[in-house]
Amino acid sequence: MKKILPVEELARDSRFVRARIEDAISDPRQAKVSERNTGSARLEPARPAAADRARQLMHGIFVGEIQALEGAGRTTFDFDDDEIPFQLKLDMARQCWDESRHCEISVKLSEHMGSEIGEFTEATFLYEAACAPDALLRLTGVNRALEGLAIDVFNTMKEFGDVSGDPVLAACEDWMLADEVTHVKMGSDWLRRLTENDPERRERALEFQRTVDKLFSLGGFRGETDENPIQLARKFREMAGFSTEEIDDLSEVATEAQEEARAAADALHGVASGD
Amino acid sequence: MTASGAPRPAFAPWDRRELPGLFGVVESARRVGNYKWIEMRLFEALGGWVATVPELDVKFVLGRQCYHHAWHAELWNKRLPELREMNTERLTEPPNEEMVKFVDAVRDPEAPELTIEKLVGVYRVLIPRKVAAYTFHMNATSRITDAPTIRSLGFILQDEMEDWREGEMLLQSLIQTPEEVERASRRQQALEDLIRSAGGITGPGTLGNPEGQADEAAEGVSVG
Repeated sequence: MKKILPVEELARDSRFVRARIEDAISDPRQAKVSERNTGSARLEPARPAAADRARQLMHGIFVGEIQALEGAGRTTFDFDDDEIPFQLKLDMARQCWDESRHCEISVKLSEHMGSEIGEFTEATFLYEAACAPDALLRLTGVNRALEGLAIDVFNTMKEFGDVSGDPVLAACEDWMLADEVTHVKMGSDWLRRLTENDPERRERALEFQRTVDKLFSLGGFRGETDENPIQLARKFREMAGFSTEEIDDLSEVATEAQEEARAAADALHGVASGD
Repeated sequence: MTASGAPRPAFAPWDRRELPGLFGVVESARRVGNYKWIEMRLFEALGGWVATVPELDVKFVLGRQCYHHAWHAELWNKRLPELREMNTERLTEPPNEEMVKFVDAVRDPEAPELTIEKLVGVYRVLIPRKVAAYTFHMNATSRITDAPTIRSLGFILQDEMEDWREGEMLLQSLIQTPEEVERASRRQQALEDLIRSAGGITGPGTLGNPEGQADEAAEGVSVG
């Protein structure tokens, strides 16, 4: 088995349909969608499409968990004993078990919510960050950026379970949220330990994290206003080792991503209407 | 109730533990180093394979069991300094080159259609060999002097037996045609031959040496 498995070789059964996130974002129909004013973008049960959106989000969580499982697994294998510390390999193996449980929970929750594997597409950007050749980039890109996003997503879903009267959803999301805080903390701790005497390397890793964070703010997907379906979970991020300054920075990144998406949508609208 | 101050034997009548075991500190440490090495190679392989198997149930089991073997490696890593090996990396090694060839062969399959070959290597060859080596160690070492190793062996063997059963059930559900039976058999035979050459998880003498047991016991007395 070779080291570093490219994203194209991720093994899936016939139910999975792969999609590129760039295609979804640049889909010209998005311009029409963005014209609609449907009020708050938050995931709230009163919205007519809330159940569909929750199912879609759940499917997104499921495929994200598979890729997180695969990424953690590859980190145990891709690096020799002299390349990363023994204890880091153990942590990644532990994360493998956690992500495996999250996959199982997600499959059962999807069924509980009336969805099924393959109902929505799978984008592979999580694994792409998880197979970076430098282990430190994996820790910042996956454990801090993407698992950080998972904190935000799980907290949002947990709140949705609470307000929509679904205790099964709320309880399961809360369990997964606890694991994600652990994973992000793991990433924060290893970032500090591996770059203790190398501030330049730390800065490069954090820059990669910012890039991933921006990508995963997904044009307004995450933020702190009513326009963002996924809300930044400040309290849990602090528990996971993020400083207030880092969370403020992330909030700014999310705002920037949203403004850029709005400008892109305006441009697309201009093209579509011939202006 | 006994009278106050009345002497009782140090060992209850049903406590039949004896001194010494078949091997002493040095031999025990050597074996523990081999155990840590094989557990590491195994958890790495299971972790690496997760992305290469399309079957969801297999994918999730590999992810779960990856951690089991990592935890075993961690237990052995903690035991080594207690056996006077302060540089734990020094003894974290295979028993011989043949074992390296065996492990390389076990970890070799990558393609998504090779799930049977991956699982046969782990569940029909490697884990049974580990169960045998661990059981021998538990039965052969002193239950008094080497009790910390035995405690870890107990936890680990419980994992190994459960994981073995789960893996075997996955295999039985995957092997559906005569051709797949043939594939599984061929794979098992090739790997058995390699680990036979290696002599087992800790090399020749993994399961003891009937002719040499008296010598090993003597070493246990002198070292232990």
